[in-house]
Amino acid sequence: MGHYFRPTTIKEALSLASDWPGNYRYFGGGTDLQIYRKQKLLNNEAIIDLSELDDTCSIKADENSMKLGAFVTLDEITTSNDIQTHFPLLAEAAASVATPVIRKTATIGGNLLVNNRCTLYNQSKEWRDAVGSCLREVGNSCLVTGGKDKCFSRNVSDTAPALIALNAVVIIHGQDGKKEIPLQDIYAPDGIKFHDHLDGDAIVSEIRVPAKPVSWWFKKLRLRKTLDFTSLTVAATVDSAGIARVCLNGVSMSPVLIEESLKKLTLETVIKKARKNCKTVDNDLMPLKYRREMINVYLNEWWESK
Amino acid sequence: MSGPIGKPTPYIDGVQKVTGKAMYTDDYRFPNMLYVGLLRSPHAHAHIKHIDTSAAETYPGVSAVTVGTDLPISFGILPISSDENAMAVEKVRYVGEIVAAVAAETMEAAQKGAEKIIVEYDPVRAFIDPGDSLEVCDPAEQIHSHTKGGKNIHKTAELRFNEPEKALEQSPFKRTESFKFAGVTHAFTEPHSTIAIWNGDETLTVISATQVPHYLHRNLSKVLELPMHRVRVKKPALGGGFGGKSDPFAHEMITAYLSMKTKRPVKCTFSREEVFINNHGRHPTTIDMSVGCDQDGIITALDTDTIIDGGAYGSFGVVTSYYNGVLLQGPYKIDKLGFRTRRAYTNKPQCGAMRGHGAVNPRYAMEVILDMLAHDAGIDPCDLREKNFLEENTITVGQLRITSNGVRDCLQAVRKKSNWDKLYGKQPYGRGLGIGCGFYISGSALPIIWNHYPQTVVHAKLDFDGRIVMFSGASDIGQGSDTILAQIASEELGVPMNYVQLEVADTKTTPVDLGSYSSRVTFMVGNAAKMAAEKLRNEMAKAIAKEKDVSADDIVFRDNKIFTEDGAVDISWEDGVEAALAGRGAIVESGYYFSPKMGGDFKGSGAGLSPAYSFGAFISDVTVNPSTGSVKVEKIWAAHDCGKALNPLAVEGQIEGSIHMGLGQAISEDLRYVNGQIVNANFFDYRIPYSVDTPDMDVTIIESNDSEGPYGAKEAGEGPIHPVLPSIGNAIYDAVGIRMMELPITPDKVLAKIQEKG
Repeated sequence: MGHYFRPTTIKEALSLASDWPGNYRYFGGGTDLQIYRKQKLLNNEAIIDLSELDDTCSIKADENSMKLGAFVTLDEITTSNDIQTHFPLLAEAAASVATPVIRKTATIGGNLLVNNRCTLYNQSKEWRDAVGSCLREVGNSCLVTGGKDKCFSRNVSDTAPALIALNAVVIIHGQDGKKEIPLQDIYAPDGIKFHDHLDGDAIVSEIRVPAKPVSWWFKKLRLRKTLDFTSLTVAATVDSAGIARVCLNGVSMSPVLIEESLKKLTLETVIKKARKNCKTVDNDLMPLKYRREMINVYLNEWWESK
Repeated sequence: MSGPIGKPTPYIDGVQKVTGKAMYTDDYRFPNMLYVGLLRSPHAHAHIKHIDTSAAETYPGVSAVTVGTDLPISFGILPISSDENAMAVEKVRYVGEIVAAVAAETMEAAQKGAEKIIVEYDPVRAFIDPGDSLEVCDPAEQIHSHTKGGKNIHKTAELRFNEPEKALEQSPFKRTESFKFAGVTHAFTEPHSTIAIWNGDETLTVISATQVPHYLHRNLSKVLELPMHRVRVKKPALGGGFGGKSDPFAHEMITAYLSMKTKRPVKCTFSREEVFINNHGRHPTTIDMSVGCDQDGIITALDTDTIIDGGAYGSFGVVTSYYNGVLLQGPYKIDKLGFRTRRAYTNKPQCGAMRGHGAVNPRYAMEVILDMLAHDAGIDPCDLREKNFLEENTITVGQLRITSNGVRDCLQAVRKKSNWDKLYGKQPYGRGLGIGCGFYISGSALPIIWNHYPQTVVHAKLDFDGRIVMFSGASDIGQGSDTILAQIASEELGVPMNYVQLEVADTKTTPVDLGSYSSRVTFMVGNAAKMAAEKLRNEMAKAIAKEKDVSADDIVFRDNKIFTEDGAVDISWEDGVEAALAGRGAIVESGYYFSPKMGGDFKGSGAGLSPAYSFGAFISDVTVNPSTGSVKVEKIWAAHDCGKALNPLAVEGQIEGSIHMGLGQAISEDLRYVNGQIVNANFFDYRIPYSVDTPDMDVTIIESNDSEGPYGAKEAGEGPIHPVLPSIGNAIYDAVGIRMMELPITPDKVLAKIQEKG
């Protein structure tokens, strides 16, 4: 039996979190986490549903900047005229997530903090028991890589690379107060503690984008045109100072950002950096070799499109 | 036709289904009902050393526990390979095989109770790759003790006619190619579900999501050692089968046994993951095929060697083995033909029948090779096919009797509509058209269990209330057979369809129908229903003729009236009913269908025999992105010869459904395994195309009016899948010049081929 809470203030939510140390889970829309519960990957007794928090559901976007409440749904983002007009990169990234029905429930905060995935981890308990327990659960080595003592589960957020390319910052409320950090700093290149840079009970309440880019590019690799989690997402922007921000996701434990002045950058260096920084292993239904090849193809496409 | 036959007719159960009112198996609840929890094997291949059920027996809420040795009698859809047990006896043969079961007050208690059962295993070598199963192994490692030669080969099916290898040697053009097909599964909407009720009169009622109530009836009787007259099987509304519900299943035996044991109703409904584990889908297949043709493009011979990966048990595998070869006898005339199919047992969930059974993969291989030969011989691929089509009313080399045949019309229709002659081979790099043809049985001419009975019997009953009740064992699995029954009775008796009501798929009240498989129902049940309704009409006409002093032959039943053209009789249906029943009461008439005797006198000659065959030709239009290898199917023109479309709306739906299912196998669906365990046992990772992935479809129905089909009808539910896959494969060749020999055609494979070609 579980306990379900629906706080209306961040203070209340944090207090509930401290009532259930290590035995609760925050929910945005819950579209992803419900499956984790069903597969007995999450066994916490308390659910703290954050979707009713005050002041976390508004969109403000104009030609200078954007402010998003963390519990704005992905559907609201894809259909917002202001976002479509001023930050189409985010509208497109949000539209690439899951399906229209799921996007009506799934939130931007939830998508930014989506759990890392692996073909051998995201399975039912019976399945995992039969194949042997992986490092991320209770075992002592990674099944995908044939025994490495490191977990390479993939970050699969599509909106994260878009917002990182847009230089977003997030407002975080922890037990010790409120702070603002660059979005990419939330993520750690670790398949188990992938959101390690968030304090224990911290809640992301808001996302801010400081300025509109001069140009942008987005592409998501997947077998079907809907539903599938990403096999590779690339989002890229160039700002008014000529700084390119290229962010790759779905191919490593955390989003991989390459930030460089266009003057210094060549296609070869972008590809080299990307391939070096992405710890891509065979943990997706698309073959490893192909995903690696597509990093080159996508970066090439972006380069040509600038 | 003055009634609904031949007119687009919405399904009579359509509104009930889309409004959520239709009752599927899992919707039924009974007082004091228990739920089944299943314990499944974590090993692919292991001996069971010991099972300790004590903790489960005392677990709160658990009423009964059962293990394999409680039900030692084996079963299976084919009597020749009844190699399954309700629960594993002595050893397990795949991950997920059921080892033990409990019945408990709640689903949670059932699941938890099952988890308390402790099983000790002794794992042995697991055979995952079918290639390994073809080799001699240590007898202790053999999957089943009955396989011959110390190998794990379930069945070798082989037929050869007129020395094809010799003809191939002498052919001016010849291609020998290897193909590989991943396993795919049915992915129907409704999960397997069954309810068993042990009745006060010591009879058993089983309500089940099944395509084959009759074979379930027989197998329940066998396994439970209950005489058949004490077993009743009912099929309620069913949410899709595609062959995946055409076997009797272990969970049905277990649930029935637990009901007998507890004397309470018991229910078992699978999770989606369990549905995938149950599989019975299309066999993973490798094919080495050789086809030759002469300078004019006339096919000289075909020879093929095929390995199909059967998984741990037999299912329909013997039939699948033969179908992989014998269903290459059309739609082209091939007089020199040979095949060998070996079905390997492996330690994976079993494969079985799936839409287009046994013929989908070899059809792909054949149609791709024909395309290659057309290019080799410098002949347009459509022209080459037209030169080789079988004629109507002919006999193939393996003694299949072809009656009506509209394949030529099919090809001409799609060729014209797709603008083939202008566009083929002439579009920019990355865009292409491809052709594929096919044919399929309209019902297997032979029953699964040999007997003297007809293939099906239908009763038509009329009583004072004026309603006609059609009694048929036919299983509507979403394909629309209930609607066809109502249409036929309405047509024959001249009453609106709402005068016709049905009693269907209940082995206590309805006469035997063998089931919804091999595309047999419209053809066979349709013929029987037509006969029953005609006989009922004749009985009515006789009585009315006597009363009115006219000839019974002059009486017409139409538009809810009974009349003669000269006006001597002009009465309402209700008055006609009164006249017909006067002095005798209710009338019940029976119709039946026997397949004609046909076929050769060699071993294996029964495989592929059918009273009629459907034909088809499809053209696909694809775009290939050469930098990513992704394939987009833009449009498919489909022409299918179904004899006569009794319900054109249903035929169109079946063709569109076939396109969607064929598309999935062609470009995205495959069952993936790790150590024999399915990796993508859910609708998230098993990638069925969505609406946005599905192309425009242009459907043409060709009506060849078969001499034996009811009103001329043949099948439309399975035949239309065969041309889909090769039309896509061949279109990719036209677009970017590569031959895809491995399915599904995913972007990584396309890109690799493009790079290889340079």
